[in-house]
Amino acid sequence: MLLNMKEIVLVVGGGIAGLETARELKELGLSPVIVEKSSSLGGHVAQWNCLFPDMTPARKVLEPYESALKDVEIHLETEIASINRLQKGYSVVLSDGAAVPCKAVVFATGFKLFEAEKKEEYGYGVYDRVITNRDLENWFNTGSDSRVPEKPSAIGFVHCVGSRDVKAGNTQCSKVCCITAIKQAIEMKEKFPNAEIYCFYMDLRLFGKKYEDFYINAQKDYGIHFIRGRVSEVSETIDGRVLVKAEDTLVGKPVKVRLDLLVLMAGIVCNKENQQLLQAVSLPVDEDGFFRSKDNIASITESDRDGVFFAGTCTGPKTIPETIAEARSAALNVYNYLKSRR
Amino acid sequence: MIVDRFSNGFHPFVLPFLIGMIFVLGYCVYGIIRILVQLPRDDRRKFLISLVTPKTAWKNVKDIFLNCLLHVKLWKRNKVLGYMHSSIAFGWFMIILLGHIEVMLFLPHRIRLFYYPIFFNFFVAETESTIQGAVLFFLMDLFLLVILSGIVLAMIKRVRSRWFGMRRTTRASLLDTIGLYSLWAIFPLRLLCESFTAHISGGSFLTLPMNWIFRQFLGNELNYLPTWWAYSIALGVFMTVLPFTRYMHIPAEMMLIPMRNAGLHILHPRKGFARVQFYSCPGCGVCIDACPMSVRKENLKDCTVYLNRQLRRGNEKRIEEISDKCLMCGKCTQVCQVEVDGPQMRLAQRSMRSYGINQHYSKLSAEDHLNRIGTAKVLYFAGCMTHLTPGIRKAVGSVLDKAGISWTMMDPEGGLCCGRPMMLAGRREQAREMARVNREIIRNSGCDILLLSCPICYKIFKDKYNLSGIYVVHHSVFFDELIHSQRLHVSRDEALKLAYHDPCELGRGCGIYDAPRSAVSAVGTLVEAAKNRNESICCGGSLGSLSLSFEKRKDITVNSLNNLKAGDPDMIVTACPLCQSTFGKYSDIPVKDIAQILDSSIRER
Repeated sequence: MLLNMKEIVLVVGGGIAGLETARELKELGLSPVIVEKSSSLGGHVAQWNCLFPDMTPARKVLEPYESALKDVEIHLETEIASINRLQKGYSVVLSDGAAVPCKAVVFATGFKLFEAEKKEEYGYGVYDRVITNRDLENWFNTGSDSRVPEKPSAIGFVHCVGSRDVKAGNTQCSKVCCITAIKQAIEMKEKFPNAEIYCFYMDLRLFGKKYEDFYINAQKDYGIHFIRGRVSEVSETIDGRVLVKAEDTLVGKPVKVRLDLLVLMAGIVCNKENQQLLQAVSLPVDEDGFFRSKDNIASITESDRDGVFFAGTCTGPKTIPETIAEARSAALNVYNYLKSRR
Repeated sequence: MIVDRFSNGFHPFVLPFLIGMIFVLGYCVYGIIRILVQLPRDDRRKFLISLVTPKTAWKNVKDIFLNCLLHVKLWKRNKVLGYMHSSIAFGWFMIILLGHIEVMLFLPHRIRLFYYPIFFNFFVAETESTIQGAVLFFLMDLFLLVILSGIVLAMIKRVRSRWFGMRRTTRASLLDTIGLYSLWAIFPLRLLCESFTAHISGGSFLTLPMNWIFRQFLGNELNYLPTWWAYSIALGVFMTVLPFTRYMHIPAEMMLIPMRNAGLHILHPRKGFARVQFYSCPGCGVCIDACPMSVRKENLKDCTVYLNRQLRRGNEKRIEEISDKCLMCGKCTQVCQVEVDGPQMRLAQRSMRSYGINQHYSKLSAEDHLNRIGTAKVLYFAGCMTHLTPGIRKAVGSVLDKAGISWTMMDPEGGLCCGRPMMLAGRREQAREMARVNREIIRNSGCDILLLSCPICYKIFKDKYNLSGIYVVHHSVFFDELIHSQRLHVSRDEALKLAYHDPCELGRGCGIYDAPRSAVSAVGTLVEAAKNRNESICCGGSLGSLSLSFEKRKDITVNSLNNLKAGDPDMIVTACPLCQSTFGKYSDIPVKDIAQILDSSIRER
C-alpha cells in the first residue's frame, strides 16, 4: 500500500502551507523537499504574535513542524532556477545548484502583503505615526518600534488598505484583515486601557467561527469605536500626531479624528514575483494575479497540468485553518495522483 | 494681343460651375449670418470690432495667408504633407488670382462675369504674343504643375498614409469621397482643356507642347469642348458637395481665424463659435494618433475628429459619450493644424447638462479658513490632490524651510476645493462660488505669493481667479527661481538619469516647460521622453474624464510610462501630484515630484 519512499515531491515555499503539505506528504510515505527563498521557515505566520480567535501564540502553531520535518530535505535561501518536464515528473534545478528529480510539485508560494506606501494618502512612510498590521505584530513581538508612542490616547485602524480597491489594482477581499483589526484593536486596548480606539471599515466580513463574538466583545467589553466609511486622507498635525479625515456613512457626515497611532490593515495581494514559476510549467495566472486552480469549487488544490498542485494563499486570500486544510488536501491529491500513475 | 472669341462672352458649359459657385457662396453667406446671429451680443460686438481694428485685421490677413494658403504649421510638422497641402491651396489661389489679373489686364470689361477668370483660355484668342501674356501664361502653367504635383502626392497618401507619418486616419464618408475625386479631377482636366485650346488662346511650357502632341493624333477641335464641359462639371460637383464634406474646412477656417483672434470663447457646443470650430475640422485624423485613449481600440472613435463629425451630424448620444470620456489633456488641439479646440467644445457640451441635484456653495465662508492660517508672504495651497500625496506636501514645506522662506499653509487641515473639478464637469456656477470664497481667503491673508503644487489648481488660480498683484506660481517654477537666485543650493548627481513628464495642465495648460526642466537638471541628468513638451502623453489619471473607468486607464498609463522610459532613466520626475500617484501604481522605476528630488539633494550651507 505504501508508496516508494524514493518518490520525491517538491514543495515550493516554507510557509504554513508548505510546512503542512510536507508534513502530510511525509505521513503518507513520500519524500517532500522544501525550497524556501528566505532564510527561515514559517512565512508570514512566523512574523505574527497571536492569532485570532483564541489568541493562540503564532509560534505554538509552528512549533510542531520542527520535529515533524526533522529528516526532510530543506533548502533555505534558495529559489527555483528552472523546471523541466520529464516523461514521469519534473526535473527541478535550484539556485544553490542542486537538481531535484521529483514526481510532483506543490506550489505553496503564498502571498504578499500590500505595500502600504502605495496608498500614499494614508501617509505610510511619510508620517512617523503610521504603521501597518505587520509592523504592529512585530512590535508585539519585539517591543521596539519608535513609531509606536509610549502612552497613546487615540489609536485608529484602517481596514481594506490595498484590498477591495480598484484604484490600488486589487479587487479581492483579503478575508483576514477585518478580524485581524479587531484582534489587534483588542490587544491595544488591553495594553492601553485609556486609549480611544477607532476602526474605519467599509464592511465587516466576520464569517469564521467565533469571529462575530469577537466583534461584539470588542464593542461591548472593550468599547472600541467602529466607524463605517473609508478614510479619505491622513495629514500630520503640528504636534506630530496624525489627523484622519473620513466619512461616517451611517451618520452621513464627514469626521476628523486626531490620533497618536494609525494602523493600516494592509491586505493580501498576489506575489507577482512568483508568477514566473507558473510560466515555467506553462500555466496561466488568474485574472486577479493569483494562481489559477483547475476549478474553484472541487479542485482548488489542483492545476490544469499533471503533477502540479497548489496549497494555501498562492490561489487567493485564506485564513490559517483554511490553509492548513488545503495543504493536507494537496498532499492527499499528490498521493492519489502518484498512486494512479503506478 | 488677346481678344474675345465670343461677342456675348458666354457658353453653356460654364453653367455647372456657375450653379456650384452660386450655391456654395449662398451657403457660406447664410452660414456666416447664422453664426453671427447665434453669437452672444457681447461676443458679436467684440468680433465685429476686431475686424475693423487695424492690428487684428492685419493679424487676420497674415494668419489666413500663412495657415490657409501656405500651411506653415503643417510644414513644421511634416514637410511632405506641408508641400502637398500648400501646393494645392496656394497654387489654386494663385491660378484664380492670375486669372483675374489676366482679365483685368486684357479684357477689363469682362471682369463682371465671374466665371471669366476661371475659363479665360476658352473665351480668348491670342492674336500676337506680348511680354505680359508670356509671363502670365508661364506662371499659370507653373502653378498648375505645382498643384498637379500636390495631387499626385495626395493620391499616393490615399493608398500609403504611413509613408506620410500617419498611423491612423479617418474613413471618408461617401460625400467626402465624391468631393475628393472631384477635387482630384479638376486640375488634370484643366490641364487637358487648356492644352486643347492652347493654339488659339496661347499657352506656355506645359500647355503648348501638349497641344502639339495632341494635335498629332487626337484632333484638338473635336476634344476641347467636351473637356471644358468636364472641367466645369468637376468644379460644379466639388462646390455643390463642399458644404456637406470635410472640405467645408476651407471656408470655415477663414472664419475661425478672425474669431479666434478676436478672443472669443466657446460657450455653446452647437452655436456660434463652436459651429465654426467643428466646420473647420479637416477630418485629417492627426488627433487619433495623438489621443492618449487611442492605445485602446474601443476608444479610437472618442477623439476630437469624431466629435466634430458627430456634431455635424447631430448624433446626440455619441456627442454626450465622446464629451464625457475625454481626459481633457489638450493634445488634439496641440497637434491640430487648424487648432480646433476639442476640449473646450466638450466642456461646453458638459455645461449643457441639467443635474437632479445642484449643490449650492453660497453659504461657504472665508472666515473659518482665515482663522486657521497664519500670515506670511508666501501662502501655500496644497489642494486636494497634494493632500492625497503627503510626500509632496512635506517636501514642498521642507524645501521652503531650507530656503529660509516665511510661508504659511492655506489649507492646513484641508481647505476648499479650487473649483477646477467642477469647471471640468461643466458646472461653472459651482466653480465660481468656490472661487469667490477662495479669492476672499487669499486676498485677506495678506500674501504676496500664492504657491501651488497641483497644476490642476494652478491653472484655475492663474486663469480665472483674477488675483492681480499676487504672484501665482507653481512650485516647480518657484523652486527653479530659488535655485537661480542662490537661495537653494542643490548637489547634482551627473550619473542620475531623470526623465521629466510634462503634466498636461502645467505644460499644454499653462505653457510651462522650461522651468521644471531646469530644476530637474539641477539634481541630475535630464533625459527626454520620446514625446515630450507640448506633445507629452497624459498619464491617464486625469480628472477631466467623467466616464473612463480605472481599469481602462491602465493601458493609457502604461503607454505613457513606456514613452517616458525612452531615454532609459533611473527615475521619472513630474510636477503634478495626480500624475505622480497615477504613474506610481504601474511604474517599475521610482516616480517622484520635483519637490521631492530637490528636497533630498539640497546642500546645507
